[in-house]
Amino acid sequence: MSFSRLWTISRLELLQRVRTVSWYVLLGVFALLLVGVTGLAFLSFSGMDERGPGIYSTVVYITLLLVLLVSPTLSGNSINGDRDAATLAPVQVTLATTGEILLGKFLAAWITGLAFALVAVPFLAIATLAGGVRPATVVISLAVLVVETGVIAAIGVALSGLLARPLFSVATTYLVVAALAIGTVIGFGLVGSSITSETTERYRSAVYGDNGPECIEGVVNCWDEPESMICEDWTTYTSRTGRYDFVWWMLAANPFVILADATPTHFDRYGNPEDMFGYLKISVRQTQIPPQLERTYDECGTAAEPTYPTPEEVLAQTVPSWFVGLGVQVLLAAGLMVWAYGRTRTPARTLARGTRIA
Amino acid sequence: MTTAGIVARGVRRSFGDVHAVRDVTLEAREGAVTGLVGPNGSGKTTLLLMLASLLAPDAGEVRIAGVDPVADPAAARAMLGWMPDALGAWGSLTARETIVTTGRLYDLDREVAQRRAAQLLQEVGLVELADAPARVLSRGQKQRLGLARALVHDPRVLLLDEPASGLDPQARIDLRLLLRRLAAEGRTILLSSHILSELEEVVDDAVFLVQGSTVSSDRIAEAARRERTWRVRLADRDAVSSVLPVAQALGRDPVHLPVDRRDVLVGFASDGDAAAGLAALVTAGLPVAEFSAATGLLEHTFLDLEGGNR
Repeated sequence: MSFSRLWTISRLELLQRVRTVSWYVLLGVFALLLVGVTGLAFLSFSGMDERGPGIYSTVVYITLLLVLLVSPTLSGNSINGDRDAATLAPVQVTLATTGEILLGKFLAAWITGLAFALVAVPFLAIATLAGGVRPATVVISLAVLVVETGVIAAIGVALSGLLARPLFSVATTYLVVAALAIGTVIGFGLVGSSITSETTERYRSAVYGDNGPECIEGVVNCWDEPESMICEDWTTYTSRTGRYDFVWWMLAANPFVILADATPTHFDRYGNPEDMFGYLKISVRQTQIPPQLERTYDECGTAAEPTYPTPEEVLAQTVPSWFVGLGVQVLLAAGLMVWAYGRTRTPARTLARGTRIA
Repeated sequence: MTTAGIVARGVRRSFGDVHAVRDVTLEAREGAVTGLVGPNGSGKTTLLLMLASLLAPDAGEVRIAGVDPVADPAAARAMLGWMPDALGAWGSLTARETIVTTGRLYDLDREVAQRRAAQLLQEVGLVELADAPARVLSRGQKQRLGLARALVHDPRVLLLDEPASGLDPQARIDLRLLLRRLAAEGRTILLSSHILSELEEVVDDAVFLVQGSTVSSDRIAEAARRERTWRVRLADRDAVSSVLPVAQALGRDPVHLPVDRRDVLVGFASDGDAAAGLAALVTAGLPVAEFSAATGLLEHTFLDLEGGNR
């Protein structure tokens, strides 16, 4: 493995990219989009004590979304596109090894994706100026963004080495990205709602007269005194509830969930998360908690009302999953790269149907 | 003593049920230009891909300057320069950048690669277009860039797939001189073409490839011995009225002497017969303005082999 040859290949890819006008148009459109998003985020978080975390996390999410949407196009045809243009074989015949070619192209695709993050930097800086953004949040969220960009770039480059037609490999890369970003959510929702448990809900209310609850003899006013109320009979309802606590792990490989789950959460003085990462993290973590299968509402009893944990308690009760999700993604990308290596190696023994070396 | 820069023995390669190369055995000498001759689809490009270390043969063995490209592709690649038939150029890079980048992939230092690029641009006649993006180059200019790219690391062995296609007459002459010079420096050059008149002017040896197999030297010698056609033109009359005097001088039946444009076509079994025929024409006092083989030796052999296969 020669770093000089590897970088020559990356540089070759990047040079071709920076010399196309459409590339700058795309970055410009993204910058415009971020102007709008940042402006709206300033308005929508104006009610918060500190707007910084909300705006910051919104801009990071939009950047991740855009990288997911654009990366497959930038990386999904890097090998088979070169083969179609007859520029792959002249590189393969040099001293550049298959590993150097694949890694060089992967590095170039990664850097290309990171250019979008770079465009987002001024907007992230503006969000930070709004106050309250914590350094740890910045470091960790950007690190996850960088790794996610790399994972998508690797999947795109690998699929372009595995599949013969550029159009098909770009579409497949999109499908893989969609499976991670949307498929995990759909799978979670469908499977979770089809596994159900019976929930029993017991309910008893007080008997109400014209002046509020009717009281037992001798008591005139029994507001807030359940022991003096006259009670109705118990009613019992049964229903079925989805067991999302069995399938919460399906969300672990979702890029947006990974970003949320990895970033440390801080709470404002009302106990709510400070940023979008926190909100998503709490909602996802919540699904780990099994539903209460027996619930009792007693209006005229002294039994404790069912309580709901606060966001902070939810985090304390549940386990983080981002490293598992990220690990699965990295393994998937690495596995595809190894497979693509076998398919791109020269001297070639087998060729995919309908392809040629040069 | 000359050694073989390229050796192939019993090489076979198929793609699915298409047998592109069935049985190729050839040797290309160092310091010589060897032509690879064959019709479209005869397996020339597949063979060159195997020699260029890009494709592994199903059977048989290949040696590039003594190295097996399947076992040690890196060593083979350091010694061989390959120019593909499909012109792939990085459209937004300039000709100079293209050569420098390729040089860097052959582990040349940046300065060495720069110097080498300047020298090669001169050699292939692209100096004026050195800093224009490759996408504006014409087909012939791209072809020259492809040749420069193949030469950047000063290879011992050159594999050129249809190098002259798209070149104008001057560029062809330049290419011929360049190839002769490269061969004179002791390199092994194998070039394929189906434009035989062009090959004829540059090759020392020829390898014939028909339906994926090399043709044995016996078959070639036999084909070369077959009757060849010569063109005869007399200075003082047109072709039709030349037939009778030529036939009389050579003692032939005028019916067997066809006319093609300005010339009468006469078959001779060998070069010796042709020389004797010319002497007879001159002795008969005919003003012979032109007396030449209608087809080159390669073309003659090629057409004969082709015919033999049908």
